[in-house]
Amino acid sequence: MSEVLGEEPEVVLAERRYEAISRILETVVRKREAKKLTFTDILDHVFLHRALGIPIFLALLYAVFQFTFSFSAPFSDMIDMFFSWLGGLAEEGVMPANPVLASFLSGGVCAGLGSVLVFIPPIFMLFLALAILEDCGYLARAAFVMDRMMYKLGLHGRSFIPMITGFGCNIPAIMATRSIENEKDRIITILVNPLMSCSARLPVYVLIAGVIFGSSYAAGAAVFSMYLLGIALAVMMALIFRRTLLKGLPAPFVLELPRYMIPSPKSVILHMWERGKWFLIKAGTFIFAVVVVIWTLSTFPWGATSGGEIIENSYIAAFGHLIEPIFRPFGWNWQAAVALFFGFLAKEAVVGTFGALLGAGEEAVDTALASAGWFTPLTGFAYMVFVLIYFPCVATIGIMLKELRPKWVLFAATYTLVLAFIVAFIVIGVGHMMGME
Amino acid sequence: MIRVALIGNPNVGKTELFNRLTGLRQHVGNWPGVTVEKKTGKCIYKGEEMEIVDLPGTYSLTAHAIDELIARDYIVEEKPDVVVDIVDGTNLERNLYLTLLLLELEANVVVALNQWDMVNERGIEIDVNKLSELLGVPVVPTVATTGEGVEALKEAVLNAAEGREKRRKVVMGYGEDVEALIKKVEAVIVKDTSLSSKYPPRWLAIKLLERDEEVTKRVEDSPFWDEMREVLKR
Repeated sequence: MSEVLGEEPEVVLAERRYEAISRILETVVRKREAKKLTFTDILDHVFLHRALGIPIFLALLYAVFQFTFSFSAPFSDMIDMFFSWLGGLAEEGVMPANPVLASFLSGGVCAGLGSVLVFIPPIFMLFLALAILEDCGYLARAAFVMDRMMYKLGLHGRSFIPMITGFGCNIPAIMATRSIENEKDRIITILVNPLMSCSARLPVYVLIAGVIFGSSYAAGAAVFSMYLLGIALAVMMALIFRRTLLKGLPAPFVLELPRYMIPSPKSVILHMWERGKWFLIKAGTFIFAVVVVIWTLSTFPWGATSGGEIIENSYIAAFGHLIEPIFRPFGWNWQAAVALFFGFLAKEAVVGTFGALLGAGEEAVDTALASAGWFTPLTGFAYMVFVLIYFPCVATIGIMLKELRPKWVLFAATYTLVLAFIVAFIVIGVGHMMGME
Repeated sequence: MIRVALIGNPNVGKTELFNRLTGLRQHVGNWPGVTVEKKTGKCIYKGEEMEIVDLPGTYSLTAHAIDELIARDYIVEEKPDVVVDIVDGTNLERNLYLTLLLLELEANVVVALNQWDMVNERGIEIDVNKLSELLGVPVVPTVATTGEGVEALKEAVLNAAEGREKRRKVVMGYGEDVEALIKKVEAVIVKDTSLSSKYPPRWLAIKLLERDEEVTKRVEDSPFWDEMREVLKR
C-alpha cells in the first residue's frame, strides 16, 4: 500500500485533506486587505524574543510573588487577629466549664485551622495574578519560551503547559498531560510535575520565610527561589529520566498561541474563586481533620500534658522523638519532623501542625514560631526546600494512579523523597561552607 | 432529549460557548487544553431539552493522544444526535481539518463559525452560504464572548436534530489512487453487516488504511478480517 502511494498512508491522506480544504477556501474566503502587523504580533516580538523571553518570564514571576507576599500581609494579619481573639475567647469562656473543649477550641480549631486559613489572602492573590497572566494570553507564551529551551534539551515541548498549570495545583496539571501524544513524554511530564511548586506549598514558604527573614524583600525572594528551584529540578529530573529510564526522542509538536486580550474582571475573579475554593474546601474538611488528629495526639494523655501545656509528655512528642533522628542532620527538631510527616497528606498540614503544636491562643503562629527559635535562616531554608520536593500529596498520588501504572507512581513517591534529602543536604552543606548555622 | 456534542480545536472558545448554551460556569482559559475531560450541561430551547457535552479540544481524531480518543470514542460509540463543530473563523485552514474528519464519521454536524467579530475585524470575508453548501452542513456565525449568534445556533441544532436542516452527504475525494484503495477495503467491510451497521464503512476503510491501532483492534474480530488484511497488504 505504501508502495502505491509512495509514502506513509496516514501522511498522504492528511495531505489530501489539506488540499481539499484549500479548494474549499479558494471559493469561500476573500481577504479585503493585506495582513497588518497586529497588536499580538508586536507583543510577541518582545515576549517571545530569543534572548529576552526567559528573563521576562522570570521577572514577571518574581513580580507575581512579591505582589502576593506584600499585598496579602495586612489581610493575613487581620485573619490572624480574628482567630487569636476567638481562641482567647474560647479559653476564657469555656475553660472553667470544660477544659478539654476549651483546649480543643483554642489549641486545635483556632490555632491549628486558623494558622492555615491565614493563608487565604496569599493563595487568592497568587491565583489572581496567575489568572490575569493566563487570561491576557501571556501564560501560553511563557510555556512557549520554556518549551524552546526544553526542546533543545531533548524534552517534549508540550510538557511545560501542564507544568505551568502545576503552579496552581498538580492535579489538573497531571490531567492536562493527556494531550501529550507520546506515552514516554507523558510519563516524564507526570513524574516531574510534583516538583512544580503548587499553591498548597505556598503557606509553608510564606510562614517559614517570614519567620527567618522577617517581612522583608528577602522573604519574597526566598519564596520566589522555591519556584525557580522547582522548575530547575523538574527540567533536570526530566532530562535524567529521558537519558536513562525513558529513552527516546521527543515527539515534534505544535503549540498554538492564543491572541492577547484584556482580561475581563469577571472572568479573572471567577477564575481565582474556582481555584481558591478548593483551598477553602480542603481546609474545611481534610486539613481540619488532620488538625484534630494533631491536637488529640498533642493534648493526650490529658493528665500528663495538663491540657497540652507540657507537650513533651504527649503521644505526638513520643512519635516525634521517634522520627526526629532522621532529620537531625538538617537541624530540625521533633516538631518540624512531625509537621513533615503530616505534610504527606497535604502540604498545608505542615503549617496546621505548627499551629496546633505551638497552640498559643494569643500569639500568631508566625510570631510564636519565630520566638520558639526552631529555625535558623539556614535550617529554615533547607526546610522549605525539603517541603518543595518531598513526596507529592496524597491527592496527587491518587490522580497519578489514575494516569500511570502503579510502579511509576511508587517510583515518583520514592525519587521525590530521595531527591528532597539530597537537595536539603546540599543546602545545609553549602550553608556550612559559607559559615552559616 | 436531544444529545449534542461540542467539538473543536483547542482554544477556539468551545468552553465559552458551552457556558453560553448551558448557563454553567465552566472554567474558561485563554490557553489550549483547559478541557481534558468531557463535561455535561443542559439547555432548553423551544421546550426541547438538550444535553450538551463539551469534548476536549483536538486538532485531529487519531488514536495517538488520549484526549483525541476521548472525543472520537464519544462520537463513534455514543452517537450524539448533533455534533456542533466549533471553528475559529480566523483560522479556517487548520480548523476545517477536524470538520472533514467529522464528516467522514458521518456525524450530524452543525458548524459554529466562531470569533466572527475577529473575522470582520481582520478584514476577512467568508461566504457562509457557500461554505455551508460545500460542506453540506449548516454553518452559523457566532461570537461566544458576547453571545452573538448563539440563539441561531440553538435553532440550527434543533433543526438538525429533527432532520429539518437541509443537508447533503458530501464525500471528500482523496484522489483516484487513494479512492481505489478505499473502495477495495470498503467492499470487504460491507460484507460484515454487524460492523458496517455500527460504523460508517468508508470511515473504517480510511482508518484501516491509515493503520489506526484502535480501529484495527475493533475490526480484528470480524470474520472477514483475513480478507481485509489481504486487501490492505496489497
